[in-house]
Amino acid sequence: MTAGSGKSALAARKAASVAIAVAAIAALWSAAAAALGKPFLPGPSATLAAFGRLAADGSLGRHAAASAGRVLWALAASFFPAAALGLAAGRSRRVDAVVAPVVYVLHPLPKVAFLPIIMLVFGLGEASKIILVALIVFSQILVAARDAARRIPRPLVDSVRSLGASRLGLALRVVVPSALPDLLTSLRVSLGTAVAVLFLAETFATETGLGYLIVDAWARVAYAEMYAGIVALSLLGLGFFVAVDLAERLLCPWRDLEG
Amino acid sequence: MVELRKLSIDYPGGSSPGWTGRLGRLERRVPAVADVSAVFASGAISAIVGPSGCGKSSLVGVMAGLLAPSSGEALIDGEPVRGVRPRTAVIFQDYGLLPWLTVEGNAELPLAVRGAGRAERRRRVLPILRELGLSSFGGFYPSRLSGGMKQRVAIARALASEPDLLLMDEPFSSLDALTREAAQEALLEVRRSRPMTIVVVTHSIEEAAYLAEAVFVMGGRNPGSVEARFDVPENSAGYRFAPGAGDFRSAPRYLELCGAIRSALRGSGPTDDSAAEARE
Repeated sequence: MTAGSGKSALAARKAASVAIAVAAIAALWSAAAAALGKPFLPGPSATLAAFGRLAADGSLGRHAAASAGRVLWALAASFFPAAALGLAAGRSRRVDAVVAPVVYVLHPLPKVAFLPIIMLVFGLGEASKIILVALIVFSQILVAARDAARRIPRPLVDSVRSLGASRLGLALRVVVPSALPDLLTSLRVSLGTAVAVLFLAETFATETGLGYLIVDAWARVAYAEMYAGIVALSLLGLGFFVAVDLAERLLCPWRDLEG
Repeated sequence: MVELRKLSIDYPGGSSPGWTGRLGRLERRVPAVADVSAVFASGAISAIVGPSGCGKSSLVGVMAGLLAPSSGEALIDGEPVRGVRPRTAVIFQDYGLLPWLTVEGNAELPLAVRGAGRAERRRRVLPILRELGLSSFGGFYPSRLSGGMKQRVAIARALASEPDLLLMDEPFSSLDALTREAAQEALLEVRRSRPMTIVVVTHSIEEAAYLAEAVFVMGGRNPGSVEARFDVPENSAGYRFAPGAGDFRSAPRYLELCGAIRSALRGSGPTDDSAAEARE
């Protein structure tokens, strides 16, 4: 068996196990809905119908795009500065002297609880929602980058230094690629948190986003639509997760082989 | 020619309890080697042999320009070493291959660091890979390679910078016995076609005795120093590559030499870690 066919067999097995998991959740869900028989727990088929309706009239796409856009803006604003700062702190004591206190103060904070303050300072608009999500991603990436940069095996650094690499050369040829897998892992984790926090942020002062869709449907007692919103938000999270997976496969091809 | 003149090296040692900030920092320096003088002849293979912890890797660091000595100096062709020198190549113990670069990418690294273009890099590296039997593995990542192959990639990378001085820090220590012999032969083969100076740091007596024209025995610990020197003309290029030269490893003189190096190592104090720990 070649490596290629082994890989596709593995992918097929993965797809099959995902399908089984989805089927199991749907079966449990419809059983619970049937047993309970209450309007606030519609079955998967009613939810799917609402999902289809919302998708058809374009509102689901609009809300999902608004939510995804906020996460992407937050990510764009926070990932690169956090990664750069964290990697620099992990490699340089002088930078760390400045960054470490920020890490210890910022990271343990329950940033969601700062939503009211952020809204007071930055207003009720888009900026507040993006800043909240960006703060969460920023602190997680910062911590991961700092740790990853510290763990770089010394022989790798020495061997590239011995070739006459400059500090920038070392950063680009050793520090960044070495930390990249860890950065992507922490990105995956923080995107999960980001989607959860986004829900909360979108329940205030907005009329777009999946969070708004869910809360609005709830207020209108349109339970099937509420569930459709929850499913859409979950799918959004799944989409980010898969996107990071693909990015990892693309950016870190050597990792595929390490078992 | 590489010359070490009364070289001493120390490094910041132990974490001082309490303060780590710039203010109350108590910096304790631990001596690695003290007062080492040695001359490694041009175009020859020299070996530095000694127990672990005697500071032999620190010597490599200084010769490579990665580490500044605390006193004394290292000279290469009469020039004091100040920082990394383009024609010095270093092979580290675990090869220092970058896991995210393929065999080709790793071998091209010295050229890439110097800003050579892709065509130029390939033109110079492909013949070297062919010479070392790595042509068909150019696209492999190091994690897919055996220890012996990684070792050859490290040699290829060193050769890519067209060095006149090759420093090797325990280059064969993680290989099994047979692979190790094959790697030694590969090194000798490489040396045969290139007139470079090679300094090998090793803890293996047999390796030093088989490879080097001059064997420097180090002993002591914190600091270590050079305790003895053996000249082995049988290992010079003239002898070794002469037609009809037999395997030095089966000559009585080889066993004698190993014995002499061994007793020099013993004479220089405890040669195993436990004895050294107990002494401290």
